[in-house]
Amino acid sequence: MTGGLDGGTAHAVPRVEMQGITKSYGALKVLRGVDLRVGRGEVVGLVGDNGAGKSTLMKMLAGAVVPDRGRILVDGEELTGTGPRAARAHGIEMVYQDLALCNDVDVAGNLFLGREPYHRFTRKLDHARMHREAAEDLAKLHIRISDTRQLVGNMSGGQRQAIAIARAVAFEPRVLVLDEPTAALAAREVEMTLQLIRDVSERGVSVILITHRLQDLFEVADRFVVLHEGVNHRELDPADTDLTGLVTAMMGK
Amino acid sequence: MSATTTSVPDREARRDNRRDFVAKNFGVISISVVFVVLFAYFSLASDAFLTTTNLVNVLRQVAPTVIVAVGMTFVITTGQIDLSVGSIVGLSAAALGLFAESGNPVVALLGTLAIALAIGLASGMITAFGKVQSFIVTLAALTAVRGVALLITDGYSTPITSDFLLPLGQGSLAGIYTPTWLAVIAVVTGWYVFNHTRFGRYVTAVGSNDESLRRAGVDIRRIQVAVLGLTGVLAGLAGVITAARLGSGSSNSGTAFELEVITAVVLGGTSLMGGRGSILGSAIGALTLGVINNGLVLSKVDVYWVPITQGLILIVAIFLNSKLFGRIVGTRA
Ligand SMILES: Nc1ncnc2c1ncn2[C@@H]1O[C@H](COP(=O)(O)OP(=O)(O)OP(=O)(O)O)[C@@H](O)[C@H]1O
Ligand SMILES: [Mg+2]
Repeated sequence: MTGGLDGGTAHAVPRVEMQGITKSYGALKVLRGVDLRVGRGEVVGLVGDNGAGKSTLMKMLAGAVVPDRGRILVDGEELTGTGPRAARAHGIEMVYQDLALCNDVDVAGNLFLGREPYHRFTRKLDHARMHREAAEDLAKLHIRISDTRQLVGNMSGGQRQAIAIARAVAFEPRVLVLDEPTAALAAREVEMTLQLIRDVSERGVSVILITHRLQDLFEVADRFVVLHEGVNHRELDPADTDLTGLVTAMMGK
Repeated sequence: MSATTTSVPDREARRDNRRDFVAKNFGVISISVVFVVLFAYFSLASDAFLTTTNLVNVLRQVAPTVIVAVGMTFVITTGQIDLSVGSIVGLSAAALGLFAESGNPVVALLGTLAIALAIGLASGMITAFGKVQSFIVTLAALTAVRGVALLITDGYSTPITSDFLLPLGQGSLAGIYTPTWLAVIAVVTGWYVFNHTRFGRYVTAVGSNDESLRRAGVDIRRIQVAVLGLTGVLAGLAGVITAARLGSGSSNSGTAFELEVITAVVLGGTSLMGGRGSILGSAIGALTLGVINNGLVLSKVDVYWVPITQGLILIVAIFLNSKLFGRIVGTRA
């Protein structure tokens, strides 16, 4: 466990503070006043049944969805409804459950999507730099993709997931949101992802991990937050919870 | 990646690369083959085809199609379509005539292009902010814009006599007509922007997965507005060229022009589903259509065969585009 450095203390400004978040889609009330606090370097396991609203809550943090009500603060600064660009600028990176990759764009292009380097006067994309740095980023994460010019649409599910993870990690995030990052990964790659989470949290990056592989959560999480029917149901300490206890909480008991 | 690569992934990578090369260039390769075959056929079938005069004329005739096809490649790659380009050609030709009749030719030129740009931007804004499909918006514009062109001219043509404007259609440099040079500039610039700038990258990304691009912090509505503004202004330029070539601005210019442009783009391998486009392919597609039209005329078949042939080519092109092309470049995801 890498220790929630100041996540639990009331006086410090938390890295992430979400207050009273609500969201409805038509008649469906997905979130009905959810709170979430994450400290610097803390790893929070966000759990709940299918459809509990985990992805929706995290998309709000990443700026991709706007809450109906509630506030989102990062390092004390209000970020509610400012959009994905502002979230990125504040160091929030997310691996989306659907990966959010462009199939017709190559590996390097997907890693740099939205922040492609280009020449100031000619406006020409710096293809050479993108491919070089993309290869370096992948190598650093031990992701075996031989050519960053391959189109992402032609790659395997595991490779695509690895690319989505690499994209989120490559730009020095302060908050890393991982929504089912290991669903398509082989055992070795899952282990590497868990190690990655330990490494970045060691460096002070706050991590929010959503996964249905609950045993993984026990390996890396400092705290479990359980959502049920659109509200915070329970908050659990992995040290005094077991798998059965967590599953029971997820069922709303 | 060399540190973690062994020879087996290397071989796989090379195979993947070859597959990606074919996937990326399949459209251009196949339309080039079609072009060469047709070119050879008409060279043999008609004595008049393979002459400098004829080829220079073909290059002038196809110039408006090439120019607008460059813009249409951007639009179709984002997954949209612009059906209004033919009507914008008509309005621009008419407007150029009227403006030139009553004032400064430079102002006439800029005013005409500004109107065309404004129409394109308006369609783009209704599409992007009103969340109406561009198919519907530009279909409405197709009717309305043509109506405006007829209204302001009462259906008559206006002669153009300005020494500033006429060379845009009739001038030549090094034996090649001005419209052809403008088309070359459009293709080179379009190719550069499409393949080497952020804007071009985002055009592909919008058509591939617009939500991914939005989550990456890019305002995808601006991309949608920009591409329709681009076809608008390029259709305006095509209208100017057409009017200058004929020496008169006619509101009937550009009838069914949108079909020709879309056929050229689809022939060039740009996917109607968005995400994949080729400026070079569109240019060769437009040239192919020009060669077919010219070849048919020279072969002395009844002129009514020209639109019939064009319609049939469009059907075949779309069929190949969605079936064959889709299978060869089919993605796993
Ligand atoms: N854009 C949307 N439009 C309509 N309904 C939506 C939308 N996004 C999410 N929902 C609904 O909100 C609910 C919560 O979805 P969400 O994806 O947040 O759940 P989740 O906890 O991530 O589930 P899972 O574990 O299956 O990933 C679901 O019932 C879903 O159908
Ligand atoms: Mg989810």
